[in-house]
Amino acid sequence: MTFFEDQLEQGIFQIGYCKNCNNTIWPPKEICQMCHGEINWKESMNVGKIVEFSKKDSMYFGLIEIDDKIRILGNISCSSEPKIGQSVKMKVSFHNKPHYSFIVENN
Amino acid sequence: MNKVAIVGTGQTKFSKDDGDIEKLLFESANNCIQSTKNCVPNDIDGVLVSTNDNSKYMGAILSEMMGIQPRISHSIEHLCSSGTNAIISAYSYISSGLSDVVLVSGVESATNPGQVLEWDKSRGNFEHPIYWASMLTKSHKRKFHTTEEELAIVSAKNYKHAMDNPSAYSNEPRTISEVMNSKQITDDLRILDCSRSCSGSSSIILASEEKAKKITEQPIWITGIGQKTTSASFTKNILEEIKSTRIAADAAYKMANIEAKQIDVAEVHDAFSVCELMAISELRITSNEKSGEFVRNLFNTENRMINPRGGLIGAGHPLGATGISQTIEISNQLQGKSEKRQIPNTRTGLIHNMSAAGTSSSVMVLKN
Repeated sequence: MTFFEDQLEQGIFQIGYCKNCNNTIWPPKEICQMCHGEINWKESMNVGKIVEFSKKDSMYFGLIEIDDKIRILGNISCSSEPKIGQSVKMKVSFHNKPHYSFIVENN
Repeated sequence: MNKVAIVGTGQTKFSKDDGDIEKLLFESANNCIQSTKNCVPNDIDGVLVSTNDNSKYMGAILSEMMGIQPRISHSIEHLCSSGTNAIISAYSYISSGLSDVVLVSGVESATNPGQVLEWDKSRGNFEHPIYWASMLTKSHKRKFHTTEEELAIVSAKNYKHAMDNPSAYSNEPRTISEVMNSKQITDDLRILDCSRSCSGSSSIILASEEKAKKITEQPIWITGIGQKTTSASFTKNILEEIKSTRIAADAAYKMANIEAKQIDVAEVHDAFSVCELMAISELRITSNEKSGEFVRNLFNTENRMINPRGGLIGAGHPLGATGISQTIEISNQLQGKSEKRQIPNTRTGLIHNMSAAGTSSSVMVLKN
């Protein structure tokens, strides 16, 4: 498992930043794609906004933008239909693959 | 640079059942060589295999199966646009003089590993293409007021075209209403909005100008090529755009010295119905706002200009073979050999093939 995956398993979403040029690294990689510098990891604020969403069976899913314009596909928990731009809290885990969940606040 | 022409083509039927990679490859390569006048295996000095299958050393294996001892042989994988990438590699070998005649064969089995890109951690457990396609569709509806009926017309049109394509996996007509009432996959996708992973193989022979003139009386020239990869991860995309296609198309038009309005016929990468609407806009054939109306007009007037073989939705999508099958269709159209599917008086054709939510695109222009 990579560091990113190991941290996800502990419920922590780590974002990589380049030590050299401060570029945000996403999806996670071991080096910066801009200058090939080394990475510093920092825990996410775990909040984001809904960019787009759809629904499969009874579950909403969508594209969410979190810290530093990082975009992620994940499921959306809400009591009524989500809205574009709505604020969400992020919860993460790892079971063979990453799982990202977003909870709509004040839905 | 030497000019490069298509001089021979061959295909298998596409099927939704699992298939044997080696048998399929042999069948399409053999059909291709048998139907290419004045070309014997000894003339071929390059063999490229395009596939997402994990089988090893396929370029050499196909060469041995066909009795060819080429200078160059290897496999090429680039997800859904492996086929055009293989053709463009063959073009490069010939135009640089490293090779004279290259056989390019694409193959896939219906259950292939190319449908999911595990590397892209930004997709989480939503790895399957239906999820990004739902995002693109919802966004297109929201931004350009695209209706579900307009999306359904893409599929109905392409299924209709596929009825006249003997290689297509489906020869069943699908009405707009059938598409709109087909099984719901997500709130924004029906099963008939989606292309289907298939088994199948397509082969093509490319040759230098000197060799082409000896092999065929109807060479089809590759006059424009454009390629662009913007990322590997879907979540870097702007949802309403396929930037890689726009850049690749502009490069291909520039190389061919043409404008989009000169395109008589095009095979575009309709992995999902929304992809056709986005592609014809990025290719500058129409605009995003008018793309639904454009396709509706094609359907109502029985104009086969876009996806005459049925596209990926109607013909099926054997990933490694798709780009080659698209190219065969445009080559046949320019030779006037498309039988019931023939569009009259075609001079210039286009192929658009892309991968992983449009993160990479290839565009080719052909002329007769």
